[in-house]
Amino acid sequence: MPQIFRRGRFWIQLGVVVALMAFGGLLINNITVNLIRTGLGLDFGWLWRPAGFALAETALPYAPTDSYAWALVIGWMNSLKVILVGLLLATMLGVAAGAARSSRNRLLRSLSGGYVALIRQVPLLLQLLFWYFVAFLGLPDTPVGGLIHFSNQGIRLLGLNLSVEFCSVLTGLVVFTGASIAEIVRGGINAVSLGQWEAFRSLGLLEGVGLRRIVLPQALPAILPALTSQFLNLAKNSTLAIAVGYADLYAVSDTTITQTGRAIEGFLLLLLSFLLLNLLISGGMALMNGAVLGRLQRSR
Amino acid sequence: MNRWLDRWLTLMLLALLGWAGWSCLHWLWRGADWTVVVTNLPLYAVGSYPEAERWRPLLCIVAVVVLIVITLLGTRHGEWRRSLPLLWSAMAPLGIWLLAGGLGLSPVGTQSWGGFSLTLLLTAGSGLLALPLGIVLALGRRSDLPVLRGGSTAYIELMRAIPLIAVLFFGQLLIPLFLPPGVEINRVLRAVVAFALFAAAYIAEDVRGGLQAIPPTQREAAAVLGLSPRQSLQLVVLPQALRVALPSLTNQAVGLLQNTSLMAILGLVELLGISRSLLANPAFIGRYLEVYIWLAAVYWLACTAMALLARHLEIQLDPVRSAR
Amino acid sequence: MTIAIRATDLVKSYSPGLNALDGVSLEVSAGEVLVVMGPSGSGKSTLIRTFNGLETLDSGSLDVLGLRLDAAHEERQVRAIRERVGMVFQQFNLFPHLSILDNISLAPIKVQKRAKAAAEHLAIELLDQMGIREQAHKYPAQLSGGQQQRVAIARALALDPEVMLFDEPTSALDPERVKEVLDAMRQLAKGGMTMVVVTHELGFAREVADRVMFMDQGQVVETSDPQTFFTNAREERSRRFLSQMM
Repeated sequence: MPQIFRRGRFWIQLGVVVALMAFGGLLINNITVNLIRTGLGLDFGWLWRPAGFALAETALPYAPTDSYAWALVIGWMNSLKVILVGLLLATMLGVAAGAARSSRNRLLRSLSGGYVALIRQVPLLLQLLFWYFVAFLGLPDTPVGGLIHFSNQGIRLLGLNLSVEFCSVLTGLVVFTGASIAEIVRGGINAVSLGQWEAFRSLGLLEGVGLRRIVLPQALPAILPALTSQFLNLAKNSTLAIAVGYADLYAVSDTTITQTGRAIEGFLLLLLSFLLLNLLISGGMALMNGAVLGRLQRSR
Repeated sequence: MNRWLDRWLTLMLLALLGWAGWSCLHWLWRGADWTVVVTNLPLYAVGSYPEAERWRPLLCIVAVVVLIVITLLGTRHGEWRRSLPLLWSAMAPLGIWLLAGGLGLSPVGTQSWGGFSLTLLLTAGSGLLALPLGIVLALGRRSDLPVLRGGSTAYIELMRAIPLIAVLFFGQLLIPLFLPPGVEINRVLRAVVAFALFAAAYIAEDVRGGLQAIPPTQREAAAVLGLSPRQSLQLVVLPQALRVALPSLTNQAVGLLQNTSLMAILGLVELLGISRSLLANPAFIGRYLEVYIWLAAVYWLACTAMALLARHLEIQLDPVRSAR
Repeated sequence: MTIAIRATDLVKSYSPGLNALDGVSLEVSAGEVLVVMGPSGSGKSTLIRTFNGLETLDSGSLDVLGLRLDAAHEERQVRAIRERVGMVFQQFNLFPHLSILDNISLAPIKVQKRAKAAAEHLAIELLDQMGIREQAHKYPAQLSGGQQQRVAIARALALDPEVMLFDEPTSALDPERVKEVLDAMRQLAKGGMTMVVVTHELGFAREVADRVMFMDQGQVVETSDPQTFFTNAREERSRRFLSQMM
């Protein structure tokens, strides 16, 4: 790179830095003025004061006398619960629906196509409200064979009590994300050459076995990266839980901020939490990606 | 063996579909009461807009629908076709003027904006703001100036890590904090800004994908003709990159339209918000399903229309196909 | 006779220890047609790409139409050269989103600030000269390779250049399309254009070139008139190359 170019670039860069600093400075100045005006400054001391609000669903013992920090941890656990179960079920539903799109059964194919076309064009929030107010709150009291018990108080599964809120958020996320995953899986399957299908069919393998053992493993490298971003979407979308009153991380943060007025601190904590969550999901997926690619390479 | 499985599966599915269809019909015939939808159509369309002025947001919606129909069906008249882009770009300022008033119309405060007209306005306003911002961010991320590149990358990645509802919530709370004391912007504008800041990060990634798809030889060809780097970007690289990015930009636009519903949680009475306040009315207690089906139909239609429009645009912009 | 391009001791390396150009010096007179030949990787493409600043130099200096290029040149200098030196690429590099007419008139309008009507008039004239006037309102993807390359030549000529650089202009073409492009170049040479042509077309070199330069491993092996080069090359390496080509 010629020297003079560099010198020109240096000035542009300096200009950008100065402009950004001026803009940032203006913002910081405004925010300090506003914080002083409203009598607030950055302070995390409130985290250790008692929260004073009750939470309907707690994975660990919690009482209103516990601190805000502990309430946030409980929210974290609730988020994590719905996200992890959601990831698992959404993947299963998505793979099934995506595989159904390339099934030889025409009815199955169009059913799965209809599911994707309907779900992806309707806002998730609307779907969540539907699952909550119509589907789960409208459940008649029905014991099913003693093992499962449906009611508008929730679902009792063996010894497990699932709240209506949890079930609605979970179902909404799974159905919504499943549709997107189905599209990805379909794309991945389509990318595997027809010859592979013909090969296992000519070997007399069953459709399902061939799909599971031959086609999907080859489609995985194309599917996994897109799957990661869907998983991240599911995690981010889980914050809509607040609309049906499920006490996830965002809902607890929202209440905390409303009570304490600590918007900036609350925002920073939420930002950090989600960065951590994203890191966990993408890290996990990267590990899986590596494992899959490694296995493919070994088998070659 | 395989064939038997197939037949059995078909039968099972048919039985399931039959049962579902029967229950739906039964409910529609016996259980459903559509008064909650039919009597409140103006509310869904324009919210609590002053009754005497309702024609304004309605005119807005009608204009958009007419424009969509004209665009999709296409006209044989070349003049009409050529003026379509102009008409579309006039839509947003026209819509804002009609809703807000001024210049001969009586002003109406944003607190009375609502319904589908507000949904449209939020979508169009934030989309129009987000597109240029997204392009700038994408170019910034590909710049060889480390400061620009680092700044754009950090913004894009941070924004994409946070859930939208948090961006919107803190947009309402924090944007005023960043403004000089005494300067206030209203809730709708704050929402539009927050949506735009959020969408720009996603748009930037789509545009970046488009930019990456353009081979460096195109820049070379432009440089050899004496075009400056800026001219080369503006006349050669960006037009091609945006065309490549169009399908994913469409998805973003459809997502934006769906996501405007989140403002219902934050108290704006756009389409979903107005429905929530309707359902809180004792006269319509428990009519969730009717309202939700109605809303789903409206959103589905709007999103599908948007996707169709984008496909239309794609064909128009494809030089080879449109030249035929 | 005036010198159009003078190169002195050009050195360029992409990876340490391996020089794409290893001390190349040459002169091209105004009105001359110089054909550059050599095996792939010999540095011939790199060489002509330095002539209009597409490749920067590590050391050495260039004098193109009286403008100096070296390792520390300015962007403004490069653009001044590019306005006077046309280039045609192996892969045509037409702008796919612009019509043929717009491809050709873009630079005259945007760089030379000519009036749109005049630029389009000129474009039509050039297309006529290339024998593809009726393609003016089509798009690149609708044309054959040979037609696209002729559009690329017209596009370069639209700026009224004093020197034309051709980087393997027929290598990406179907064999039956090669002739139409070579004919256009032949016509250009007859009109007195200064041309530097990297090509493997022996027939073209023999017939049109004033001199043939043979390169190998970043160095000039020999420069001779075509008669000598093809019948009685001085260097062993040139002879071996020629025997492989024929």
